[in-house]
Amino acid sequence: MTDRSKKYFNPYFGGVMVGLLMLLTFYITGRGLGASGAVKNTVVTAMHSIAPEHTEESTYMSRFLSDDEHPMNNWLVFEVLGVIAGAFLSGSLAGRLKLKVEHSPKITSRRRLVFALLGGLLFGIGSQLGRGCTSGAALSGMASLSTAGFISMMSIFGTAFIAAYFFRKNWI
Amino acid sequence: MGPLIPQGIISGEWNNVFALLIGVVFGFFLEGSGFSSSRKLAGVFYGYDFIVLKFFFTAAITAAVGMIYFGYVGWIDLDMIYVNQSYVSSLIIGGVIMGLGFIMGGFCPGTSVCGAAIGKIDAWVFTGGMFIGIFIFSEAFPLFEGLYNSDNLGSIKIYESLGISRAFFVFALILVALGMFYVTGIIQKKVKKVEY
Amino acid sequence: MNLRYIFFAALLVVLGAGLFFLPEKTNTNEMAPEKLHAELFDQTRYVSTDEVAERIINQDPSLFLIDVRTADYYAEYSLPGAANIPLEDLLSPNWEDYLTQEYMDVVFFSNGDIYAEQAWMLANRMGYKNFYIMKGGLNCWFETIIKPVKPESTASNNEFDLYKFRNGASQYFTGGELILSEEIVAEAITVTRKKKKTVASGGC
Repeated sequence: MTDRSKKYFNPYFGGVMVGLLMLLTFYITGRGLGASGAVKNTVVTAMHSIAPEHTEESTYMSRFLSDDEHPMNNWLVFEVLGVIAGAFLSGSLAGRLKLKVEHSPKITSRRRLVFALLGGLLFGIGSQLGRGCTSGAALSGMASLSTAGFISMMSIFGTAFIAAYFFRKNWI
Repeated sequence: MGPLIPQGIISGEWNNVFALLIGVVFGFFLEGSGFSSSRKLAGVFYGYDFIVLKFFFTAAITAAVGMIYFGYVGWIDLDMIYVNQSYVSSLIIGGVIMGLGFIMGGFCPGTSVCGAAIGKIDAWVFTGGMFIGIFIFSEAFPLFEGLYNSDNLGSIKIYESLGISRAFFVFALILVALGMFYVTGIIQKKVKKVEY
Repeated sequence: MNLRYIFFAALLVVLGAGLFFLPEKTNTNEMAPEKLHAELFDQTRYVSTDEVAERIINQDPSLFLIDVRTADYYAEYSLPGAANIPLEDLLSPNWEDYLTQEYMDVVFFSNGDIYAEQAWMLANRMGYKNFYIMKGGLNCWFETIIKPVKPESTASNNEFDLYKFRNGASQYFTGGELILSEEIVAEAITVTRKKKKTVASGGC
């Protein structure tokens, strides 16, 4: 291990803290944490300002449009803005603020970015189909002991484990 | 007593303030634990770093156990807690797609935001990809619609699905998690260290 | 370092084992007293006998009358088109299809208010929707619709209109001879349905 990784919290400590935070979130709002929903709302809002008619006609996006409430004015959007601020704070305290492309020495930055884009693309599609991402569906879902949370968790990590062999060059 | 907002104890205007504060803490601990690094995240799949598994299970168990005790003491009304609907097929297929996205992109939505916040360009690209992905999904929704709405089991809890008691399930989950923590500790020692 | 992990692991196991001693469910279905209280004082669950009469006359398809009295009473007299679900059978699975619907306005009635109120409470607790009580029950029905009392000569025009309507309705329901002029009956039958959810005036 390099010195740098020593600056990270103990993962169990981080886990307990986020677990307690999730408990607080359930206590206050009745639902858990999330991330992909914020991106979805941003997409819907952006599309609505670019092509309002098209968005209202779209069966999927129109579900998230309502007259009185702006899709951007949403819990998750503010939460994700908070995540950006919190991560920036933590990164700057630990001296990790740096513009860079992180990749295995065996691959080029370009290849890493192409895969990052593809991964993001798939995550975007998958999170909509699965009604939430790792934080919203799997983590919060497991905390509330919902069957959906456990199904999500197992299918996300199960698939990643199976597919890991084919992408090993990207990481190790 | 709780949850506060659904019961109207705190008015909805506070919603966004809490969201922001909770987000800050969430982001702080995610980044602080190392979730802003894609190679650290991917470690769980190759055995050189199990932070994801440790973090994930500790957080879920802490919240789940805490919630049950809160419910018992009467601080929180467990019936008002949102339980995701189990649309089994779309959950599994969505999960498979996300799993592929995870191993290819090295992030998930929450962690990519963390990575983006501290200047990881790959995280920016991943987040951009996510916008495009959601856009594609929205445009192609008629294709997915049947799947999206099929096989709904409703807001069901895992122990009800398995037909066992809640206490037994949570206790077993704790034991399994502790077992995994122990085993992954041994694996991590045996696997060749990866510098990142 | 290692000792700390063992301590926390043990703590987690103890907390997990503690769950076995907690009750699985804490009064899950109990409606909060405040909510029940608020609903009990909510007047919108009442419809007046006049409104019921009007909707029967207009053959309103969204009206569903349920007589919660016993079968004997029902056989003796009931409102036209009413179904009979005695209060003690209300929870029987036979009636579930009638009760779990969203499009009809279901109106409970009995002789007075009490049995209809009890039926409404049960239906409310079961989570059924669109349930109402005919205020005053069949007793009120007889006093207002079947044998309406002529208002004092000093009464307002509204009360006379109501009387006119009730007289017409009485004709309609009893099928008796036309004591009143043809004109009044015709007018009564074509009364247009008004959306009123408040307690009607001149009731019981």
